[in-house]
Amino acid sequence: MTERDTEVLRLEVSSDPRLLGVIRGVLQVWLELVGLAVDRRDEVVLAVDEACANCIRHAYDGRIDEPVELLLSASAEWLEISVSDQGTPCPAECAEYRPLMAPEPHELKPGGLGVKLIHQVFDEVRFCPGTTSGNCVTMRLHRTTKGGVESED
Amino acid sequence: MRIEADKTADETIITVEGDIDLYSSPELRTLVLKAVPKAATGVGVDLGGVTYMDSSGVATLVEGLRSAKEHDKAFTLIAPSTAVMKVLELARLDSIFEVRPDQ
Repeated sequence: MTERDTEVLRLEVSSDPRLLGVIRGVLQVWLELVGLAVDRRDEVVLAVDEACANCIRHAYDGRIDEPVELLLSASAEWLEISVSDQGTPCPAECAEYRPLMAPEPHELKPGGLGVKLIHQVFDEVRFCPGTTSGNCVTMRLHRTTKGGVESED
Repeated sequence: MRIEADKTADETIITVEGDIDLYSSPELRTLVLKAVPKAATGVGVDLGGVTYMDSSGVATLVEGLRSAKEHDKAFTLIAPSTAVMKVLELARLDSIFEVRPDQ
């Protein structure tokens, strides 16, 4: 595999839930452009969508006109996506890694799945809540793991 | 997302099409949580036409299931699309739901 130039895309969108579909559409096109294996694209889109939804729900408490910034970059070896906001920093425990286990029926809880899904999909996840405001989550996928190797064109 | 409810049979069928995400899931949640206590035997959610589902959609289905248990009703996922099954599997919740292939 030869080293390719890093392919970067920077997006800034308002924290309006109606725009999540637009972000997912752009992501699908970008993941195709950088040649991520088809079977991995949907789960990457899901995890990034969850990160954006967290900005809207938690950092901005549902306010729809605040900035959410995505920075997408890809090389032959890895794919890195960061999502940041300027809202309320999340408490440290929100970002902790907790492995996903099948729950017993009596333990079923409707919420708290988003962060777990992000950890489930990406190989490395780093949450950096700001001290006074803002959050940034950086998610990294090694393209040679989990069958993520794809053909070069 | 397009959503339709049919209460003509013992089982109330809710048919969902399109994307279930943070924007659209509140509508589904309201409908499911209203339908469960009123249904004669239970609620079936037809997810065959769902093109995308996020964790808020999963949470809605989990709430529906919990509510159905409380009201002693059935709660069934009908023909879940690949998009739905994939996120349920990722969330390790695929075995929690009763699933059947058609209405």
